[in-house]
Amino acid sequence: MKLSTKGQYGARAMLDLALHYGEGPVLLKDIAKRQQISERYLEHLMVSLKAAGLIRSMRGARGGFTLAGPPSQIRLSEIIEAMEGSVVLVECVDAPDVCSRADHCVTRDIWAEMNKAMGDVLDSTTLADLAQRQREKEKSEAVMYYI
Amino acid sequence: MSTKGRYGTRALLDLAFHYGEGPVLVKDVAKRQGLSEHYLEHLFVQLMAAGLVNSTRGAKGGFALAKLPAQIRVSEVIEVLEGSPALVQCVDDPKVCARSGICVTRDLWADIKTAMSGVLEATTLQDLVEQQRKKEQAGALMYHI
Repeated sequence: MKLSTKGQYGARAMLDLALHYGEGPVLLKDIAKRQQISERYLEHLMVSLKAAGLIRSMRGARGGFTLAGPPSQIRLSEIIEAMEGSVVLVECVDAPDVCSRADHCVTRDIWAEMNKAMGDVLDSTTLADLAQRQREKEKSEAVMYYI
Repeated sequence: MSTKGRYGTRALLDLAFHYGEGPVLVKDVAKRQGLSEHYLEHLFVQLMAAGLVNSTRGAKGGFALAKLPAQIRVSEVIEVLEGSPALVQCVDDPKVCARSGICVTRDLWADIKTAMSGVLEATTLQDLVEQQRKKEQAGALMYHI
């Protein structure tokens, strides 16, 4: 039940863009530096994010990446789906045809419930929420140093 | 989730369903659950080591749950078969990543783990047995209409 690095790092790259939303195009190398992800791997992630319509890229002297919309309108579920494919823990939950037991299987019901619990968190969290939590975390860290 | 988690849960559910009827034969679980006997034998050995299942040898030998179905939570079953339901390792072991203390995506993965664990902890094998019986009754009714 593990998320791949594509999903983990993709989420962090998107968070980085959300934190710098409105500041103009963001350079790949800056995201790489701040998020401690290799530029090469990040390029690979940005291709998927762009294909999913979650980010835009601009070429030229003032080129770079931006979110395709405001952070408050991009849900984590969309990001994870773009990076990992469908967010399903057990195949039969979304595709009952893969197993002949699907319509009378109570373990399928509990996998579905578990999947929904995960889906609900991802659906209800936007990049704006994460950016807000990050700012609050950084503020409280700063306060710690002043005590 | 791997086949171990999925098939293992169904094997334990089978034992729960037949709890109190005496030792259950691997071949019967295999038949009812559509799983290979060889795979089940291997699985039951692991489940015994984890204290979830007991075996009895001899003519009327077989396997049985080591505890009442109502005392076995699905969370415990998954923990034994799959390990932690965490989506990312840093949730359980912050040391794997230097960013753990300041990382809000880690907080998100932790929230997801909590939500999923909540579902698994709230359900026992007995709950699954009862849900199964209801489903079977409803299925039987359908045929009599």
